[in-house]
Amino acid sequence: MSDQLKDIINKQSAQQESDIEQLDDIVQLVGFMIGDEEYAVPILAIQEIIKPFSWTRVPQVPAYVMGVFNLRGAVIPLIDLRTKFGLTPKKHGEDTRFIVMRHGDDVAGFVIDRLTMAIRIKKENIGPAPDTVNGDDTIIDGVGKQADKIITILKVNKLLERDF
Amino acid sequence: MDEFEEILQDFLVESFELVEKLDEDLVELESNPEDLELLNGIFRVAHTVKGASSFLNFDVLTHLTHHMEDVLNRARHGELTITPDIMDVILESVDLMKQLLEQIRDTSSDAGIDVAACVARLDKITGGTGEVDTPQAAAPAEESVEESPAEESAAEDDEDELDYENMSPEEVEAEIERLLAQRQEEDRKKREAKIAAGEAVPQMPSGDEEEAKEEEKKEEPKKAAPAPKPVSQPAATPKKTESKESPKAAAPARKTPAQVEQTIRVDVKRLDHLMNLIGELVLAKNRLIKINDDVEERYEGEEFLEELNQVVSIVSLVTTDLQIAVMKTRMLPIGKVFNKFPRMIRDLSRELNKKIELVISGEETELDKSIVEEIGDPLVHIIRNSCDHGIEPPEERLAKGKPEMGTITLKAYNEGNQIVIQIDDDGKGLDPQMLKDKSLEKGIITEKEADQMSDKEAFTLIFRPGFSTAAQVTNVSGRGVGMDVVKTNIEKLNGIIDIDSEIGKGTSMKLKIPLTLAIIQALLVGVQEEHYAIPLASVLETVRISKDEIYTVEGKSVMRLRDDVLSLVHIGDIFEVERILDASEHAYVVVLGLGTSKLGLIVDTLVGQEEIVIKSLGDYLKGIEGIAGATIRGDGGVTLIVDVVALMSMAKDVKVTSLSESESSSGAVKEKTSASDYTIMIVDDSKTDRTIMRKALEPMGVTLVEATDGQEALNILKSGDYNFDAMLIDIEMPRMDGYTLASEIKKYNRYKNLPLIAVTSRTSKSDRMRGVESGMVEYITKPYSADYLSSVVQRNVNFKAEFL
Repeated sequence: MSDQLKDIINKQSAQQESDIEQLDDIVQLVGFMIGDEEYAVPILAIQEIIKPFSWTRVPQVPAYVMGVFNLRGAVIPLIDLRTKFGLTPKKHGEDTRFIVMRHGDDVAGFVIDRLTMAIRIKKENIGPAPDTVNGDDTIIDGVGKQADKIITILKVNKLLERDF
Repeated sequence: MDEFEEILQDFLVESFELVEKLDEDLVELESNPEDLELLNGIFRVAHTVKGASSFLNFDVLTHLTHHMEDVLNRARHGELTITPDIMDVILESVDLMKQLLEQIRDTSSDAGIDVAACVARLDKITGGTGEVDTPQAAAPAEESVEESPAEESAAEDDEDELDYENMSPEEVEAEIERLLAQRQEEDRKKREAKIAAGEAVPQMPSGDEEEAKEEEKKEEPKKAAPAPKPVSQPAATPKKTESKESPKAAAPARKTPAQVEQTIRVDVKRLDHLMNLIGELVLAKNRLIKINDDVEERYEGEEFLEELNQVVSIVSLVTTDLQIAVMKTRMLPIGKVFNKFPRMIRDLSRELNKKIELVISGEETELDKSIVEEIGDPLVHIIRNSCDHGIEPPEERLAKGKPEMGTITLKAYNEGNQIVIQIDDDGKGLDPQMLKDKSLEKGIITEKEADQMSDKEAFTLIFRPGFSTAAQVTNVSGRGVGMDVVKTNIEKLNGIIDIDSEIGKGTSMKLKIPLTLAIIQALLVGVQEEHYAIPLASVLETVRISKDEIYTVEGKSVMRLRDDVLSLVHIGDIFEVERILDASEHAYVVVLGLGTSKLGLIVDTLVGQEEIVIKSLGDYLKGIEGIAGATIRGDGGVTLIVDVVALMSMAKDVKVTSLSESESSSGAVKEKTSASDYTIMIVDDSKTDRTIMRKALEPMGVTLVEATDGQEALNILKSGDYNFDAMLIDIEMPRMDGYTLASEIKKYNRYKNLPLIAVTSRTSKSDRMRGVESGMVEYITKPYSADYLSSVVQRNVNFKAEFL
């Protein structure tokens, strides 16, 4: 029995290693639009992407916190990224989606204007955040360079951090 | 190593339980030093802990408990009388024992706590008789009543030569469990045998079950030793009801230990998980009930409804039962908390030189585990307070003609969905005037507040932060923090404190606490288009009032409720609800009560009572003032739960009068600079009719928006994409007809002045009347001329002539 167990453990660790190897050079991201800008977050931070549905307003919070909604029995905050990024609020349309992101135990839904695509990008093509956004406070993790455009990669833990 | 860990865990759990009981027993022993049963019990605890700790190689603990055991053994044999001084040393050693156990729990080792001083003192007590500090000296005495570990193992060997080597850990554990059970049973039998022996030795053999006989063999030599001593004792002990029973009667009772062992220790996390699952189930049940109601409405009279109804009611019944059952598994008797108070009272009374007796009742009352954990500290504060400030010194009591001994009564009982813990003392009571003076002095209240305060409100001053009546700060109390913390802690549990007092007679405090925290009964209320849940425990009543019953005093709304004046606050003002619906003539007032303070919360509608599951808003949104959490309703939506405590303090800052007319609708009406700034909606289900209207109005150059029925029109209106100047509404439409649409629109404040023009082929007078009733300003009957329609519209939108 112990031999079998060892086998399994070995296999698992081998798999993990290869996973890490893969992660080492390629980052998988999900891109989305807010206003005219394209942003992205790591695919592993995304729990799910859902179509908009009704939510409940919560009093005494900043305007970008739209309220809470019911995700299969869990009460989850809903944050409007347009408002958070200083854009004027827009009505939810056909393309609007809620992206539910998770970091540790923190979960929240974010309203985005439109999904673009899943992106695989090499690590070396990700540059640091521009110097103008300084310090640890920035929610920008880095800038992904692609053939024809650049994408702002956001820090999920910062997005999920309460800042009011 | 794992087995060791498990044994250690069991040892700790058992030891803590034993020690907890020990405190209580010791205090009782002091007032009742003759009680041999009690002494035996205490001795057994020391002995058990000693035995187990020596097995587990906790030398310090063994050393300490051994000496404790020594002293107790002497007392048990009547060689030593327990005086308060001796008791102090014993209690000190018990405290040390607790410390050691905690040390073991935290570090798995008992090193680092110095027991030498205490051991020396214990020694001194026994020292008079010589050879006391050697374990061997005590051993024979031990064995005389208690089975020593050696004897135990001997018994094991006798019974069955089990091959422990080849056992799996589970088997070993089971075996330990079995032996433990066996040992406990033996213990009990011995006790009974001893009692029987004390009462009537010859009768004993007639208690003749097989085990009993077996037991006899072992017991025979031991009985001899204790028998001479306790001759006078059995009848005198209050606790032992069995002592009066004949051995025969006692025989069935011996079987019970086996049944008592029918318990399983379960990780609390598992129970919590189970509770969460039940929560989900309750939500699903609520949803099912709602769907059932909807279906019932739609398919009235259909046969399958009956069946559906049955299933739904069974599910709902079982869910409720299941919920109660799981709740019960989490319940603990409050005695667990009460146990530590006799000791505390004893220490306090010695420290304060007062004579205080504690009477406990209802300790079997059960409470949710999480509440039991939280309730301890507040109770400690309250009882300390009663001892320090309540009960007078003996001389003073005698002078007042009261018994020298002060009494504090601690009582727990069920009252409806709540547990009440009542703490009464017969001390000097609270003087409302003095409380007010003190608070004024400390700047806690203003002169004016003091004048308006009733006695009952004055009593609650003791819960204000910074308040203290003690002239000087003692070791026990007087720093003015305790009672404030009590209040916060109790309110955290959704509980309330009721306080009553009479000068010279005493004070009575009642803590009312809900049975459980996770699932509560709530009143659902509506404000504008939102809903909120208010915990029913805080709701005293609801009243329907009309607007003119609300008066304004100093910028605050109040109403007269029977003989009282109730201050009012609109829930919408607290939660910043946008006032989009027109306020109706009537409103509902939910009267909230928290202790002695009351508040009227104005809401638009009462939705009903529902059982709700409290869910946290998570880290991101926690700590929002006035919101205690959220729940998921039958329709899948989220409803916020009102935090009544916070709401009451927030209400003080809200000045806006609630039902008064809000600021004029949407206000900034833009100056019209061209004809296309005018926007008109055409609502008609017929394409032809819409085209006719469009043709009639297009020449004006206004913007036209079309909707095919009332529902669509309402949605377009609510979306706020356009700012309409008028609406042309057909009456007969699918989904929502024109009348309904008009009255729906008129509910909204900002559309109050929006001209609604009926365009219809209905011509009867009653139709026109209905149109006016629902808020239409014009009534155009088909067919009409294009010019007529255009002129009616122009008139209603104040169309500027220069655009023509």
